[in-house]
Amino acid sequence: MLARLLRTPGGTSKPYVRLYQPYLFLLPGFAIYLVFVLIPIASTARYSFHEWTGFSDPEYIGFGNYRTLIQDQEFWNALGHNAFFIVFYTFLPILLGLFLTSLMTRSKLPGMVIFRTGLFIPQVMSPIVVGIIWRWLFGFDGPINEVLRAVGLESAVRPWLGDFTYARYAVGVVGTWVEYGLAMVLFIAGMQSIDEDLYDAATAFGANAWQQFRYVTLPGLRQQILVAFIVTFIAGLRVFDLVFVLTRGGGPGKETTVVSLLIYQEAFQYRRAGYGAAMAVVLTVIIVSVSALVLYFQSREENEEQAS
Amino acid sequence: MPKSKSVLILLVLVALLAGLTQASAPATAQEEVTLVVWDNWTRDAEQAMIDQLNAEFEEAHPGVTIQREAYDTTDLTNILPLAMSEAGGPDVAMINQGYTGMGPMVEAGLLLPLDDYAGQFGWADRYAEGLHNRNSFSDDGAQMGEGGLYGVSNTAEVVGVFYHKPVFEELGLEVPETLADFEAMLATIAEAGMTPIVFGSLDAWPAIHEYSAIQHAYSSLAEIEDFLYRREGGTFDTEANLQAAQTLVSWVESGYFSPGYEGMDYDNATLGAFLNQEGVLWITGSWMAGTLATELGEDAVGFFLFPPADGEAAPLSIGGVGLAYGVRADTENPDLAAEYVDWVTGPRAAELLLAEGFLPAAAVDVETLPEGSLTRDVVEAWNTISSEDAVGHYLDWTMPDIAAFIQELMAGQSSPEEFVQAVEEAYQAEQ
Repeated sequence: MLARLLRTPGGTSKPYVRLYQPYLFLLPGFAIYLVFVLIPIASTARYSFHEWTGFSDPEYIGFGNYRTLIQDQEFWNALGHNAFFIVFYTFLPILLGLFLTSLMTRSKLPGMVIFRTGLFIPQVMSPIVVGIIWRWLFGFDGPINEVLRAVGLESAVRPWLGDFTYARYAVGVVGTWVEYGLAMVLFIAGMQSIDEDLYDAATAFGANAWQQFRYVTLPGLRQQILVAFIVTFIAGLRVFDLVFVLTRGGGPGKETTVVSLLIYQEAFQYRRAGYGAAMAVVLTVIIVSVSALVLYFQSREENEEQAS
Repeated sequence: MPKSKSVLILLVLVALLAGLTQASAPATAQEEVTLVVWDNWTRDAEQAMIDQLNAEFEEAHPGVTIQREAYDTTDLTNILPLAMSEAGGPDVAMINQGYTGMGPMVEAGLLLPLDDYAGQFGWADRYAEGLHNRNSFSDDGAQMGEGGLYGVSNTAEVVGVFYHKPVFEELGLEVPETLADFEAMLATIAEAGMTPIVFGSLDAWPAIHEYSAIQHAYSSLAEIEDFLYRREGGTFDTEANLQAAQTLVSWVESGYFSPGYEGMDYDNATLGAFLNQEGVLWITGSWMAGTLATELGEDAVGFFLFPPADGEAAPLSIGGVGLAYGVRADTENPDLAAEYVDWVTGPRAAELLLAEGFLPAAAVDVETLPEGSLTRDVVEAWNTISSEDAVGHYLDWTMPDIAAFIQELMAGQSSPEEFVQAVEEAYQAEQ
């Protein structure tokens, strides 16, 4: 296949380049990937079988860390919090993104570019900055509570980020605010490739706005929704910075503690880097398997479509 | 052509890899010596003080440059061990005590034992024995409070109660002698329509001080040290700890803490609330004395030790020595580093520290300080507990996540009994 592609235009059967040459071109990129991604992953996996403070001599303990992990209620709680955040990181942003996309692509208001850019800004801001802004917004004397007081909803005023019931929702909302921009931009791009004729046809057959969305837009955006799902799902599973800034380490109590935060605490604060590495490996396995599963179902569906 | 191209690519690749693996070579010093120091002086008043000290040190040592980097405590605790094993990392650094701070660093051989220098510079005379132990560890990093000396602290800390003097006068309040007096005072303040205690728990760790101040009032030093040093029989399941939890909860229920305290951070919200007199008392550490004296005036704020439950014994208080200056084991200039440690913990440093409202670890004669000043209150409090061996401990030295349990207790997520049990279980699981 490769050799065929690389044949000279003249049609001689002699390959223009040798087979190994394309791989040479891949090498620089691969070298960087190797040094900064693959080797760290491999050494994380290796350390997960050791008892290690992060700077001592690692001591091999086999599956000891994993056995501890299975019984570690704190880890499972944290994973549960991640699952909770997936709702805010993945499902809500996709719904919101779809809604905004249909608003912005089906109407022809002037100044759309400004709206589009403005709505995308949270996505490109540094999570630390986002965290500090929202920490201030959620402050007990911050704007959100001030507004509530101003309109007479004194009873709704809460120390949002310190409240055992509401802290996780508060952190979740910030996640939605960050992620919907990504979904929206993906969907707007996807809309460009949906044939206008489909909408004309739908209109001609009397489809209302909802039906157009349901039967034309949604199927047309399947690829983009899938990408948005995978990307935001991974973001929800590995969320760290936002939680770290918003609730300073997963508080109140351990209500907003997520797996990445535990990894950080174990590895750098409690000096159990080996144990932290084991958690990181489990998290990586979860992320990779979910992504693989989603991609597998998608490609199977496509194959079925092509076959039919 | 293709051949020479691939050779070219290979060359680029080799150059790239070489660039990746080439560590930044240490700058070879000629006459000049640079001492890299990582410290914890991040607030403005602190920065000016330490810069002054460093300038004087440089003046006395021609050719020596102090390259200073300031980190907050969290950063210092997390990054330091890695930095100390890297080229270009600090020669001297402020180290957090305890089993997650100094202990593993000693175990990994990152720190230079300072016992010889202690003799040379006479450091032993600067401290009471009990305080010296806090910077000592066994060689394997397993036992705190014994073995070699790995750091010297220049500040002391005591957690006590700051109060607004004008409000005390207005309400006719006096510094309480017993915990019962203290609780009566809280009730009086609340009846007057004011918030008794300024507090914010968003950053988690301040919650430790609220609980543990009360805990120390009910406990003996031995109980606390057995728990903290993880000695045989060390336990959290004590009557004193349960009582303290009950007292804390009753204060929450009586509304003695700042409204919305769960959502208030320490550096902005809580400090701001005290400065604006949104509350009368603030249970926190002497490290705030400098800031409070600057903002409100030496005469406007007072400080007293958290009173003991029985009013008889010395008021056991959370306290200790500040982060310790330690020396990197493989530093190129150990003698110079030790000299710097001697300098920043010495008499001149104590003078400047005191002027900035810090509490020097070495004893200071109270008579040299103006009567009725906040500085004098704080120094007097420290002198009392250090001379009577009533310096307690920070619980998070041995249980870094204890604040989360206290947050749960205060929010009513767990009862006092459940709280004590939960902490005990977590403590035993760590053994």
